[in-house]
Amino acid sequence: MSVADLVKTFTFYEILVGMKATITVFIQRIILRNRKAITLQYPHEKRDLPGSYRGMIALLKYDDGVEKCVGCDLCEAACPSRVITVISAEVEGEPAKRYAKEYYMDMTRCLFCGLCVDACPVDALAMTKEYEWARYNKRDLRLDKPQLLALGDRNFPVREKKLEFQHPNVAYFNIGHKNLPHKAS
Amino acid sequence: MAEMVTILIDGKPIEVEKGTLVIEAARRIGVMIPHFCYHPKLKPDANCRMCLVEVEKMPKLQTSCSTVVAEGMVVRTNTPVVDEAHKSVLEFILANHPLDCPICDQGGRCDLQDFSHRYTPTGSQFTDTKRVYEKGFFSPLIEKEMNRCVSCLRCVRYCDEIMDVKALANAARSTMTEIVHFAGHPLDCEFCGGCVQICPVGAITSRLSMYEFRPWMMKRADTTCGYCGDGCSLILETRGEKVIEVMSSHGNGRNNGDLCAKGFFGYQYVNHEDRLTTPLVRQADGNLHPVTWDEVLPVLAERLTQIKLAHGADAIGGLISARCTNEDLYLFQKFMRLAIGSNHLDSTARYGHVNAARALRRVQGTNRWTVSYEDIVQADALLLIGTQVTAANPIVGLKVKEAVKKHGATLLTLETLVPSIETTSNITNLSALHVAVPPGRHAAAVRGLVKAAFDENLVDAALSSRAGDYVSRIRAAATALPYPEGLDEAALRAVAKAFAGARRGVILIGQDLLQAPGGHESAVNLLDFLLLLGKLTQPGWGLAPLTEENNEQGAVEMGATAEYLPGPADVGDAAARTQIAGAWKDQPPASQGMHLLEMLDAARAGTLKAMLIVGENPVRSLPLSAKAASALEKLDLLVVQELFLTETAKLADVVLPACSYAEKTGTFTNSEGFVQKVRPGLEPVGDSRPDWEILSSLSVMMGYPLEYGDAKEILKEIRAVIPGYRVLGAKPEPAQVAAKSVEQYLTRGFAEDLPARYSAGAAPKANSHRWALAVGQTLFHSGAMSTKAQGLLELQHEGKLIMNPADAQRLGIADGDRVRLTSTSGEATVPVTMLGRIPEGTLFFPESFREALAGLPSMTPDPVTGVPYCKQLRVSVDKVGTGGASSGPPPARIAGGK
Ligand code: SF4
Ligand code: SF4
Ligand code: SF4
Ligand code: SF4
Ligand code: SF4
Ligand code: FES
Repeated sequence: MSVADLVKTFTFYEILVGMKATITVFIQRIILRNRKAITLQYPHEKRDLPGSYRGMIALLKYDDGVEKCVGCDLCEAACPSRVITVISAEVEGEPAKRYAKEYYMDMTRCLFCGLCVDACPVDALAMTKEYEWARYNKRDLRLDKPQLLALGDRNFPVREKKLEFQHPNVAYFNIGHKNLPHKAS
Repeated sequence: MAEMVTILIDGKPIEVEKGTLVIEAARRIGVMIPHFCYHPKLKPDANCRMCLVEVEKMPKLQTSCSTVVAEGMVVRTNTPVVDEAHKSVLEFILANHPLDCPICDQGGRCDLQDFSHRYTPTGSQFTDTKRVYEKGFFSPLIEKEMNRCVSCLRCVRYCDEIMDVKALANAARSTMTEIVHFAGHPLDCEFCGGCVQICPVGAITSRLSMYEFRPWMMKRADTTCGYCGDGCSLILETRGEKVIEVMSSHGNGRNNGDLCAKGFFGYQYVNHEDRLTTPLVRQADGNLHPVTWDEVLPVLAERLTQIKLAHGADAIGGLISARCTNEDLYLFQKFMRLAIGSNHLDSTARYGHVNAARALRRVQGTNRWTVSYEDIVQADALLLIGTQVTAANPIVGLKVKEAVKKHGATLLTLETLVPSIETTSNITNLSALHVAVPPGRHAAAVRGLVKAAFDENLVDAALSSRAGDYVSRIRAAATALPYPEGLDEAALRAVAKAFAGARRGVILIGQDLLQAPGGHESAVNLLDFLLLLGKLTQPGWGLAPLTEENNEQGAVEMGATAEYLPGPADVGDAAARTQIAGAWKDQPPASQGMHLLEMLDAARAGTLKAMLIVGENPVRSLPLSAKAASALEKLDLLVVQELFLTETAKLADVVLPACSYAEKTGTFTNSEGFVQKVRPGLEPVGDSRPDWEILSSLSVMMGYPLEYGDAKEILKEIRAVIPGYRVLGAKPEPAQVAAKSVEQYLTRGFAEDLPARYSAGAAPKANSHRWALAVGQTLFHSGAMSTKAQGLLELQHEGKLIMNPADAQRLGIADGDRVRLTSTSGEATVPVTMLGRIPEGTLFFPESFREALAGLPSMTPDPVTGVPYCKQLRVSVDKVGTGGASSGPPPARIAGGK
C-alpha cells in the first residue's frame, strides 16, 4: 500500500468524495448562510423536464387527423409488462386497410421503458411529458384509444404530415382499396 | 426395400433411399435449407433459386430441391459461397417486396421474413421503383396481395396437382409474374384454403381472419374436424373466446395437411351469436325462459322419473347426433339403457350409415373398412358408386385424385355426375370408365355389376369349387335380371371387367347409394361382387362406405342405435350381453328397441311419452311428410340438448345448451375407423356443457349415478368394452375380414334375403313428374350447422336448384330465375343455377337448404334397416319468374373484377 493510499484511508477520502454535494450545500447554506431556496413549491411551481423525459404514452395522428397506428400489434409484442392490448381490424369503408379498432394501455403496469415507442413502425406512439396521473381508482388508469389519442392531441399540437403514397422504394402499405368487398363480420 | 445411398451433408453422413432430394435428406439430419418453391407435396419446380447448395465436383451451385442424391455425394449448405448466393437471391426478391410486414397477416410466420432475418441483407443495390400491382377483387374469402408474391408458384401447383381444380395460373413474366384466376368473375373454386396455407409469404391470405391476429397471440388446439367422416386433423387457432382461424399441418393426420372448404372456412358457427348459453324451460305462459342448471336439472330428473314410474321405461326414447364425440355417444346409450332402462334409442347413423354397417357386419364380421386411405392411394382400380366424393368427402376425393394422377390408377365411376369442364374439379373427369346413373338407380347399377361378373366370366374358380351352392344361386338370381334399363350395358360390363383385372381395388360407396331405397341390399350385393371376384379377403381390397357426418362410424360402434350394444354387438347376442353386463355391473334391457321412425310413430300413437334428443333436429332432417313435428308435439316431455334453438328445440319443454366440438374433449372415429382426438380450443360458450356431462349429472339426480371425472375416464371404459378401441393412436390395427363370418355367409347367410336383393325393385313410378331430383351434399355445406358459418355462407347463401345448361336453355331459364317444382306430395319455388356436371333430365338441390323444398319430398322407410329414404324424388318444373333480389351475391362484390 502506497503512502497516498494510507492517507486516503485515514482521512476517509472516498466518503468525502461521496458526500461532496452534501458538504458543499452544507457549507453554502448553513455556514455561509446563503439562503436561496432550491425546493420547488410543487404543484404551484414545476420543473423543466428534459427532452428525453418518459411520461404518459400517447397515440398520434397525422396532420389530416387520421390515426397513425396501423394496428400491427408490434408494441403489444415489445412491451415487457403486457401493458398493451391491440385489437386490429379492417378500416370501416376502406377494406384491406388495417387499423387498431380498439387499443388499451393498462398504465398501472407500465415501466415507462419506451420499448413500445421504439417498436412502432409508423411512429404512432410517443412519450409525453405528462405525469400527474394519480387516481383514486386504478381502473381509471386503463386507458382506451380515445384517451390515448387525446393525450397525443394535447401534447403534440404539431402533427406529422401524411404522405399519400410513401416513396415506393421505401414503403408501400396501408393504402385502402375501395374496390374490395367489405369483410364479413 | 428401396436401394440406399450414403451422402455427406455438412460433414454429417446420412443414408437415404435412392431418389431422395438433397433438401429432404438435409431436413432429416436437421439442416434446414432455405426454400420457397419446394414443398414436399409438390413436384420439384426449382424456380425460386433459394435452396442453392454446394455439391462437390459440380462446377456451379445446385438447387437442392431438384437435385437427387447420388452415392458419395458431398453437400455443403453453409459455406460463404452458399451464404452469398442466398443473400443475393433474397436481395432480388426484396428488390420488389413491399415493406408490408406490419400489416401483413403472414408477419411472424413468414418464410421471407425469417430468411431476411437470417441473412440480414440490409442494403440493396437496386434503385428502381418497386413493382406495384393494382389491387383487384379476388374472392370473398381469399385475399391476394400480389406485391408480396415471390412467384414460387406453389399455389398454382397445389391447385393443379393436389386439388385438380386449376383455378390459379401465373400470368406475365419474370418480375412481373402475377397469380391470376379466370378473369371476368370472382374466384370460383373449391375454396379448400390450400393456396392460403401453402403460400410461403403473405401474398394469399384468408379474409375471414384478416387482421385479427398475430401468430404468437394464438392458442392452438390439435383437433379433428367436425363436419364429414373423412376425419381431418386440424388446428384450431383461438384468441380469447374466439376461433380466429383453422390450419392444418403437412405430414399430419389422415388428411396429410389438406383440408376442404368446410374444414378451413367453416369454423365460425362456433362463435355464432345465436349459440344457446343457458338452459331454457317452457313455463306456464307457453314460452321458453332461461333458467340455471341448478334449477333445471332436478326438475328434469324428477319428470323423467315420474314418466318412468307412470308409464314404464319403454315410454322414453332417445336420439343423438352422430356429430357428437364417442364419449357422448357411449354415455348417451348407457344412460338410456341403464338410468332410463329403455332400448329405444337411435343416432343419425340411421339416415344411411347403418345400411352399410349392417351389410359389412353380416358378411365380413366387422363393420369397419378392411382398407385404409393408403390402400385407396395404392389401389390400381377404384370403383366409386354414388359417392359425389368431391362434395361429400373431399379428402377421400383427394386420395382418389392422388391415386389416379400420381399412381395411374384406373378410376371407374357409377355416379350421377357426368364429366364436364368447370371451375371446380369433377371426379368423373378423371375416370377411365364412367356410367351415368340417374338418382335412385344406383342399386340397379350394382345389381347390373354382379350380373356382369357372371356374364364376363369373372367369378373366382376357387370360390366356385368351395361354395358352389352360393355361386350358383347368386348366378341364378343375378343373371335372371335384365341389365338395368337406361344404363349403358357395355360400360357396366367393362367396369366389372376392369375392376376384376386389377391387382388391388377398392370400392367406395356414398350417400347416393346408401340413402336410396335398396341401400342395404346394394351394400350386401357389392360384397357379393367382391366375394365372387375372389377379392374380399385379399389384402388391399375392400368395400369402403363413406360417411356424411363425422362420427357415424363411432355412433354405430358405441351402440347408439336400437339394434346394437357397444361393439357393435347385436342387442340379442347373449355373449355380448354377458360381457357388457360384467362391465356395467347391470343388465341392459332385453327388449327390442325402436329406431327413429318407429319412435316417432309411437309418439304419435301416444305410447312414447318422453324423448331426449341430443344435437339432432329431426323436424328439419325428415321431410314434412314424416310429420316429425306433430309427433314430437304429442310427447309429454321433450328434452333437447343443442347448440342452437333449432326447429326441434323450439318444440321442446326443456332445452339444454351443449358445447360444440371446439369446446369438447373426446374422440371421433372417421369412416375408415381411425379414432382421433378432439381437443378443446375454447372454454364452453356461456353456460353450455359437454353432452356427456349433462347426461352424467342427470343420471346422478335420477339416482343411477354414471359418474365420470372427465371424458378420458369414459374413453377408458370404452377401451375396455369395445375391441376396436383397445389400440388407438396413429397406426391402429386395420380391421380384418373374419373368415368364420364369411364362411357362414357363404353357406347359409346369403340365402335369407336373396330374392329381395336380386329383384328388379319397384320400377321408377311412371307419373307425370319426369325430372329426377336428388338432394345431396355440396362442397360448401354439410347439414344445418354449416349454414351458421359466415364464411361458408359467403360462398353459398341459399339453396339453388342445379340443372344442366341444355335443359335450362330448352325451358328458357336463366341463372337466378325461379322455378316451381311439383311432386306428388307438394310443391316449392326455388331459384335455379346451371352446371354441366348435372346430366340432362336430372336436378340437384343442396341438402343444407332443404327447408326450401318444404313439403316436396316424400319418405319411404327401409323395411329392414329403418333408414328413411327421402333424397330422391320425381318432380315437374315450371318457370315462375326471372332473376330476383335473392340471386347471387350483391353486385357490389364483383366490382373491379380482375
Ligand atoms: S413503456 Fe414499456 S412497459 Fe410501458 S407500455 Fe411501453 S413497452 Fe410497455
Ligand atoms: S406498434 Fe404502432 S402501429 Fe403497431 S399497433 Fe402499436 S401503436 Fe399501432
Ligand atoms: S410477406 Fe412476409 S416479408 Fe412480405 S410483408 Fe408479409 S410478412 Fe413481411
Ligand atoms: S401467391 Fe404465394 S404461393 Fe403463389 S406464387 Fe406467389 S408467393 Fe408463391
Ligand atoms: S369436412 Fe371432411 S374433408 Fe373437409 S376438412 Fe372436415 S373432415 Fe376433412
Ligand atoms: S426451393 Fe429450390 S429452387 Fe425454389
